[in-house]
Amino acid sequence: MRRDSAGEPPGGPTDPGRREFLKLVGATAGAAAAAAVLPSGAIASPERVEELAREHANDPGMLIDLSKCIGCGACVTACKFQNDLTWRQDQPWLGPDAQLASANWTVVRTFEPETEPSGSIRYAKRQCMHCLEPACASACPVRALRKEPNGPVTYDVTRCIGCRYCLVACPFSVPTFEWDRPISKVSKCNLCFQRVSHGEATACAASCPVRAITFGKRGELLEKARATLAADPERYMPRIYGEKEVGGTSVLYISDATFPEVGFREGLPTEPIPDYTWQVSRLALPVAATVGAVLTTIWVRRSRALERGAAAPSASPDGEKPGGTHA
Amino acid sequence: MSVTTTALARPAAPRPWTFHMTSFRVVLLGIAGLGIGSVLYRFLFGLSASTNLTDQWPWGLWIWWDVAAGAALAGGGYSTALMVNFLGGDKWRTVERGAFLTSMLGYVMVSGGLLLDLGRWFNFWRPIRFWGYHSVMFLLFWCVAGYTVVQLVEFGHIWVERVPTPRMTRLMHRIYVPVLIVGVVLPILHQSALGSLFIVAKGRLDPLWWSMLLPLFFLMSSFFVGPAMVAIENIVSARAHGRRAPVPVLGDMVRVTGKLMGVYLVLKIADLVWRGELGRMFEGTTASNFFLIEMLIGIVVPGAMFLLPRIRQTVGGLFAASFLVVAGVVFNRANVVFTGMARSVNAPSYFPYWMELAVTGGLIAGAVLTYLFITENFPILPERGAAPSPAPGSARAAG
Ligand code: SF4
Ligand code: SF4
Repeated sequence: MRRDSAGEPPGGPTDPGRREFLKLVGATAGAAAAAAVLPSGAIASPERVEELAREHANDPGMLIDLSKCIGCGACVTACKFQNDLTWRQDQPWLGPDAQLASANWTVVRTFEPETEPSGSIRYAKRQCMHCLEPACASACPVRALRKEPNGPVTYDVTRCIGCRYCLVACPFSVPTFEWDRPISKVSKCNLCFQRVSHGEATACAASCPVRAITFGKRGELLEKARATLAADPERYMPRIYGEKEVGGTSVLYISDATFPEVGFREGLPTEPIPDYTWQVSRLALPVAATVGAVLTTIWVRRSRALERGAAAPSASPDGEKPGGTHA
Repeated sequence: MSVTTTALARPAAPRPWTFHMTSFRVVLLGIAGLGIGSVLYRFLFGLSASTNLTDQWPWGLWIWWDVAAGAALAGGGYSTALMVNFLGGDKWRTVERGAFLTSMLGYVMVSGGLLLDLGRWFNFWRPIRFWGYHSVMFLLFWCVAGYTVVQLVEFGHIWVERVPTPRMTRLMHRIYVPVLIVGVVLPILHQSALGSLFIVAKGRLDPLWWSMLLPLFFLMSSFFVGPAMVAIENIVSARAHGRRAPVPVLGDMVRVTGKLMGVYLVLKIADLVWRGELGRMFEGTTASNFFLIEMLIGIVVPGAMFLLPRIRQTVGGLFAASFLVVAGVVFNRANVVFTGMARSVNAPSYFPYWMELAVTGGLIAGAVLTYLFITENFPILPERGAAPSPAPGSARAAG
């Protein structure tokens, strides 16, 4: 290693600290890189999705057929009544500008797909997808959001600290925040947790006049979706949205327009998002322990050396410090 | 004999606290006042009245500046502590105290910013009770809280010299080493957790920035931005006090960080190659251009300047390079929080409301004022005190 000399304080070209430092940096970087990269290749296994599908086959879910929806908004009304939500002019729940918001747990948004004959319209009913491995719940520092044992992803306002990490974390941008209150809460569909826990269908599914929303067990809904696609391949896109997205979701969609055209996000991984983050957050304690141990060792070694130095009458520990540099 | 032992044996005569009013300080006080007003407004009327945050842009200026960038800039504390106390960099001890102080104020600012940003701030203590240990935010909370406490203790070490209380002094010495160690471990976790925070945005954050190595990148950049911050702080305060900046010490420190920046650059590129995203750099989109600017102006240029003795051994060169590093890291955090997310956000881009700016400005002004007060009243800066900070080893031997 070349040593640049001019004007540098004493330390010596063979300063062991610096070498130790670079070694430490190298070793830490290498270890962390290996720890982070190697398993990230390993999680991309198709079995994981199948396993999740089996595990959650009996969870309550919904199959939404976008080709059937007529955009009447009955589901939105049912939802608002069921969950005591208000109608707010600044939060449209139907039409081209409809958006999930603090008072909208579900909306029906209008699209004009370009691949369809002009003037043709599609309606996309959106709400929480109730992921099998929800990113929002894994991101919540206080477990205010959690996946109930029977499937729905619910929210407990009393715990929430309002950090909005769930808004950042959700791959479908579902949770919303009550921005206009001094004390705000998160808002999102809970798959009518009370109703489904008693074996009833969700309010939206029960209210749909054209049966665009089927309520049922996820496993059976998947079967039904596959059968529907197979029965009319001319009409439907060959794809079930939610089957594999981020490991699978309890709400599934089939459509006759392409999914991006009706506002669905593409390019999501098939691995559950928590699989990625857990690889990193599980390293926290081991890393802390290792760094702590290394530092303690260094400290003990250094203070032993200092004590040995101090034994000689003239060399006080301070004498070893380059006191001259700050003169 | 070390300074501390002297302080123990013979309490210094009480020195009156001073705070010299200058027009600069009056301006800072004004900014801080405006900030306090905006904070009150935010608590009374909520976030939509005081910010431009929306469901599409749930995190804004406060998370970017007060939390992500602020924490990185406060990295000087732990990187200096690590280099000085554990990696044989005793020759840099003269700047250790200033670094600690900046870092402590930085973290107080981070905690303040985080608290303000919470929609249910009165619940802020809940992570103590409910352990969402899967969550990076949980980790972050614990690290910020723990490290703020650690830094107050580290500063307590300086405090007891000025305000002698023998009991406290002994306690401080006894816990000094564990605190020093925890004071390196926690920031390492915290800085990397800030990066891990965005791993959750897989599929949405631009692949130029999304990587499983985000925690490592955040950690490394917070480490190399540390000495740059220390250099800037020393140069500015030396100028303000009409002294000479300790350029040799600083120049020596940044040489080490220059090398680390080289490692960072190589790792960044290797990671892009590994994920097959290298080509994205040259796509000519806003994101790719921002990425290139970040890497060239924030890493390559200042890294090279740090490695050239002719540049880093001059006040001007050292200052310019350090400034670029700091700007580069702040820009990097902005790119992760905003630029990289923009592609998957279905809404107009976010720009902070004036009150958000006022709050951030107020926090910074408050931190600078506190810094000025403390450096005026405590032996912090290298040329001021009669001796560098005490060598803890000797303090322990003596106490
Ligand atoms: S869609 Fe979003 S809010 Fe709903 S469970 Fe999945 S991650 Fe959570
Ligand atoms: S805003 Fe509330 S529910 Fe969402 S992650 Fe934070 S604490 Fe959890």
